[in-house]
Amino acid sequence: MYYLGVDVGSVSTDLVILDQDKQVKEKLYLRTKGKPIAAIQEGFRVLMNKYEKAEIAAVGTTGSGRQIASTLVGADAVKNEITAHAVAALDADDEVRTIIEIGGQDSKIIVIKNGIVTDFAMNTVCAAGTGSFLDRQAERLEIPIEEFGDYALQAKTTVRIAGRCAVFAESDMIHKQQMGYNEGEIIRGLCEALVRNYLNNVGKGKEIQSKVFFQGGVAANKGMKAAFEEALGITVAIPEHYNMMGAIGAALIAKDKVEKTGSTNFKGFDLAESVFSANSFECQGCSNNCEVVKIQENEIVIGCFGDRCGKWSNKLAV
Amino acid sequence: MKVGIPKGLLYYDYQPFFHTFFEELGAELIVSSDTNKDILDKGVKYCVDEACLPVKVFHGHVAEIKDQCDLIVIPRIMQLRKREFICPKFCGLPEMVINSIPDMPRATMAPLYALSKERLFQWAKVVGKEVTHNTAKLSKAFEAAVECQSNYKKGIDDDSYPIKVALSGHPYNIYDNFINMNIVNKLKKLGVGVVTEEVIDEDIKNREVSKLYKKPFWSFARNNYSFTSHMADQKLVNGIIYISSFACGIDSVVIELIKHNIEDFPLLVLKVDEHTGEAGLDTRIEAFVDMLERRRS
Repeated sequence: MYYLGVDVGSVSTDLVILDQDKQVKEKLYLRTKGKPIAAIQEGFRVLMNKYEKAEIAAVGTTGSGRQIASTLVGADAVKNEITAHAVAALDADDEVRTIIEIGGQDSKIIVIKNGIVTDFAMNTVCAAGTGSFLDRQAERLEIPIEEFGDYALQAKTTVRIAGRCAVFAESDMIHKQQMGYNEGEIIRGLCEALVRNYLNNVGKGKEIQSKVFFQGGVAANKGMKAAFEEALGITVAIPEHYNMMGAIGAALIAKDKVEKTGSTNFKGFDLAESVFSANSFECQGCSNNCEVVKIQENEIVIGCFGDRCGKWSNKLAV
Repeated sequence: MKVGIPKGLLYYDYQPFFHTFFEELGAELIVSSDTNKDILDKGVKYCVDEACLPVKVFHGHVAEIKDQCDLIVIPRIMQLRKREFICPKFCGLPEMVINSIPDMPRATMAPLYALSKERLFQWAKVVGKEVTHNTAKLSKAFEAAVECQSNYKKGIDDDSYPIKVALSGHPYNIYDNFINMNIVNKLKKLGVGVVTEEVIDEDIKNREVSKLYKKPFWSFARNNYSFTSHMADQKLVNGIIYISSFACGIDSVVIELIKHNIEDFPLLVLKVDEHTGEAGLDTRIEAFVDMLERRRS
């Protein structure tokens, strides 16, 4: 039997299949590109050739798109990213005390004591210092994001970049470029600025104790790891499946849930071939004028989101 | 005479006073709707960009009713207690609104000092004259309004839940369900009860703030600091949720003060702004509740 975890984030959609021993059997890292449904379908097209519906014992979803993903796949557990990341990290190493997680538009710190989350913080309404910002800068400099970290490590000196706000950081970077600093130095400066911003903001007042796990898509960036280690003065460990931790956590939570309930809601891999459409409309039921999104699978409505009162979303709850 | 009352800012605390006063004066009341998307859009359109969300929302409420009334009530609330102040934006609220929204009807400009009944009457006399010149009627309306306000009980104290949180923040963030995305209901659905600052009395507030190095300068600071401090110290709740408007200057200090005081007692700070997407808020609340459940067991 296998356990499926789906993490629909702002930048990436991650799918993971765990085996009976909670080992990663399969992992897919796909770009969401603003189309969560298409990303899940793309993943399922890969999985449907390798696995049978009956082999999947439990499905969990997480990430900012967890509700839409749950509607599509028939999830047994729908969990927030904080809990999912903590569960996955503790399963990988029960000595972890601090988790630094930087994703597409969120960054988080999770503090663990005696195997439970005792404190956490997330960035506020601003996405400075997150993966989508790095993506944008990589694109602007025409450097593949995968090579970003190497550029930072090659730099011998560093440049100070403003890190409090993504807009300020970008203008500061451009000014420094115009002064003649090379790309490596600027990227290293950017990594340091993001770490400074993270520690002063998300990590403010939090006790960062070893063992520290650095996970989420941004952990692929070696420059960020180096900047964290320099700022903290301790080793920062990157778990093997650093960019899959949310999905792994979701699969583990779903596994626990199904062990209690006894059966899964999994709808199968067929959705890969279905035709989905998402339409949004403004509900005129009251003065809130909620923007409601209606998801249809082969012209049958399978779910609605976005209404505050539940008029649409409750009607179709499965 | 039609008197407009915008349902924003401290309306949530003082609605009985304003309603009764103008009704007793013989005015017809035009009260704006509960905050909705249209009000938010209007507020963002008219208000200066740098202001916080609740001030923008207040502008939206004014804009909604301005064409239906002869006089609009924009309370310039200066002080509620001696040697304490409200946010500076309240002191300049009438000017802010009048200069931002076109084609305004007359607005109340008098400063409001609610330090004593006598001082409050100063406001009532000036503003009341806009509606009536009958001084006996004015005095009677004022007495009725004060009476009605003193009988007003608000606040939430859910006792029937296994997990409880203290919901702290400025009243308009706590009671405007559009701004806070209906957080009280969201928490109830997760099996969490809510307690608000009204449950603690003045003695407790005095005792809590007396522990500070210096008396708080702001009334909001006094209320939120003493409430969270008492709830955490006596372990009357499992955690604290503080709702704060993005870029609020007062909260930037108060939240630090609270964090420092309660040490490792669970605290979740939620920043609200123009967002209507609820995923970010939901994630934070759900994770916080997960954490409280696990800490408890």
